[in-house]
Amino acid sequence: MSVEPTLVRGAETGPALVLRVAMADAREAARQAAVIDDYFRPVTDRIDDRTRQALDTLFTGIVLAIDADLRGRAAQSAMKRGTVRDMATLVGGDVVVDRLRDTPAIRTGEVMGVLLARVELDGLATRLAPMATTQDGVSLLSRLVDCPDPGVAAAAADLLTLEARRREVEAPIVSELPAELHHRLVWQVAAAIRAENTVFPDRDRALSDAAWHVIAAHDEGDGVEPAATRLAAAIDARCEERPALLVESLGDRRPSLFVAVLAHAIGMDFDQARGVVIDPDGDRLLYALRAIGLDRSTVARIGLALAQADPRRDVDRLADRIDAVMAVSIADCVSAVSPLCLHRDFRDAIQTIGTAS
Amino acid sequence: MTGGEAPVAVAMVDADGRLVSADPAILALNARAGGKIGAAVAVPQMATVARLARRLGIVISRSIHVADEDADIDLWVRAQPEGEQVRLAVSGWHERRAWHPVDRRPAAERAVIAADSDWHWESDAGLTFSHLPVIAGARHGFDARRLLGRPIDTLFGGAAIGERLVARQSFVGVEARLLPGGQDMEVSAVARFDGPGRFVGYAGGVRMTSVSLAPPVEDGVPATFARRLERALRLPLGRIIANADSISAQTEGPVAPDYAAYASDIASAGRHLMALVDDLADLQAVERPDFVLPDEAIDLADLARRAAGLLGVRADTAGVVIMRPPFEARMPARGDFRRVLQILVNVIGNAIRYAPRGSAIGLNLGEAGGFASVSVIDRGKGIAVADQARIFEKFERVDVSETGGNGLGLYIARRLARAMGGDLRVDSVVGEGACFTLSLPADAAAREDHR
Repeated sequence: MSVEPTLVRGAETGPALVLRVAMADAREAARQAAVIDDYFRPVTDRIDDRTRQALDTLFTGIVLAIDADLRGRAAQSAMKRGTVRDMATLVGGDVVVDRLRDTPAIRTGEVMGVLLARVELDGLATRLAPMATTQDGVSLLSRLVDCPDPGVAAAAADLLTLEARRREVEAPIVSELPAELHHRLVWQVAAAIRAENTVFPDRDRALSDAAWHVIAAHDEGDGVEPAATRLAAAIDARCEERPALLVESLGDRRPSLFVAVLAHAIGMDFDQARGVVIDPDGDRLLYALRAIGLDRSTVARIGLALAQADPRRDVDRLADRIDAVMAVSIADCVSAVSPLCLHRDFRDAIQTIGTAS
Repeated sequence: MTGGEAPVAVAMVDADGRLVSADPAILALNARAGGKIGAAVAVPQMATVARLARRLGIVISRSIHVADEDADIDLWVRAQPEGEQVRLAVSGWHERRAWHPVDRRPAAERAVIAADSDWHWESDAGLTFSHLPVIAGARHGFDARRLLGRPIDTLFGGAAIGERLVARQSFVGVEARLLPGGQDMEVSAVARFDGPGRFVGYAGGVRMTSVSLAPPVEDGVPATFARRLERALRLPLGRIIANADSISAQTEGPVAPDYAAYASDIASAGRHLMALVDDLADLQAVERPDFVLPDEAIDLADLARRAAGLLGVRADTAGVVIMRPPFEARMPARGDFRRVLQILVNVIGNAIRYAPRGSAIGLNLGEAGGFASVSVIDRGKGIAVADQARIFEKFERVDVSETGGNGLGLYIARRLARAMGGDLRVDSVVGEGACFTLSLPADAAAREDHR
């Protein structure tokens, strides 16, 4: 039933007015600094409007889903204990999204990094030029679904289904975050709901109970990235099979499989390999491709396919760099990229503690 | 260059990008761009493809678009490194007049497919499904999980569609049958090709033309549809309103006053739609045969004070005073706290809309015959006896010439009141005002306790 939004009217005189003008002045200075900062930012450090929109939809969708789940369960838990009378008493939704958006810890935390990487890889999938790579035209995943190895067939079917679900407009947005990050985000959303509901009786207990339920219901294996990782592990491609597998996964516009095959071959985790693949600079990817023993022509085809799909990449720079990278021995490339294969926590710790001996 | 059926023309380019030899078609094109044998290739796009192929050491095929005197030409260029040289094979030679808009036919077909389809699919060149919707599939009676990676003819039945699919060309509106359920449908698809022009698969859409296996419709609005509608509309509408508000408030920078006013109109229309979405969700709920509301002890006096409080700013803006029940007044009743508040906000909101500036709206409490009641009395223009039944119907309004409102509020309010064992009635004399009375079962036990 429609109720018009409340009209806000406030005092506009005396010290309040002076304060208001001072705040507006400070805001303008901050805005100008941000705009100038943006002007000098290199193009590779920017995201285009489509990526920005996709990131916004994903972040908002995940937060709203967790928020609705938490509020529903919190109200149920409070009703069970008799502290509230009806279900719709917790405020949430867009105000929770806005609150998280304004929280510096969200900006600098890992969750946004993972979501951005996911959006950038999904964007790559839509921009990659399809490429016919086999005679019969049956794509890689469709062939793998019929693979006699049941592990490969099941993993391929999983990946097809999960990618279809992610593309489906009607499907609810699912967090698909690694468990640790999902848990952190659930607590952050709970804290934001808490801040918006100062008078809800017994709110901390209700939200805490609800958060544990939401955390328990999360299955971190239920996502495109884990499915691609399972498939790459099930295929366990031999060295001589990798070039075709990698080139074909890009030609079929399945960059998640490309990342997973690369990650499996080189011994990185998926997130790390994805970071290497979406980096428009591309140098780390060239060394990684060399490290897994790919020939020059395969490296060039992969580099070209990615350059054509991402306007930030410089195809001439790829041509400049490829001979230099191929001149490095495979062993040297392996040792150059090996720090990237360490567990993220270990790498963070090395960076924090330092390498001085 | 006049194009037509020109065959593949070949040229050789050396390591420094100079034209070594060329068939007449390329020679002429290059000459018109100011080049000649022994000099650098003068058509920049061709020179780029040749250079990239030589430097990367791989075959590169791509479509290029070159200006040639008063026409533009689309060409396919295949550049193949051969030792130190690059062999260019150029085909296509499709002329496009320079002023002619870009041929957007494939994009247009795609748009038709997107706008007119119930669901979408994609295939590879081997005609196996590479994309199918999981949720829409379940609605139409097929399991996308089982069909992904399988041949298209496991889902699309019929001779016509079979013929069109193997032709590897775009098609629109071909009749077919959904194999699991037998429903009739129309399939459209855009054929997609890669750089060298090889078929790589279809991107298609399906419009269901016969009744699907969707759940039965309940009194006009199927529950799943209403839920989907609500979910699909709420987020984008919220964004439209928020963005239109920021344009109108010029928070992102100054805009022309006209545009700020348009943005304000957009935000206002967006709010109206959002309210309609809320109402449709309520409508879907109240019309379900199994709709029940919690029966809890409530205080009508408290609820009347709360509703008046929520609408205080609107009343101030309208220059109307709401006479709230005194703080100590109590009127125990049975009902659902949130829904009673919703009814009162609607009824008092209506009163504010129709009450003349400077007048007062009364909130009177009463108890009779086992029912507790609250009456909302305004001094507006009133409602003719003939209209008093009509205003509680769906999509009817107190005054049809008034803007705002969608004619669902009073209908939903009365349905809610009746679902709680009470009623919502109106008494009015034209020219003197109206009195809406919400009655609910009295809570005798609570009344006794209070005493």
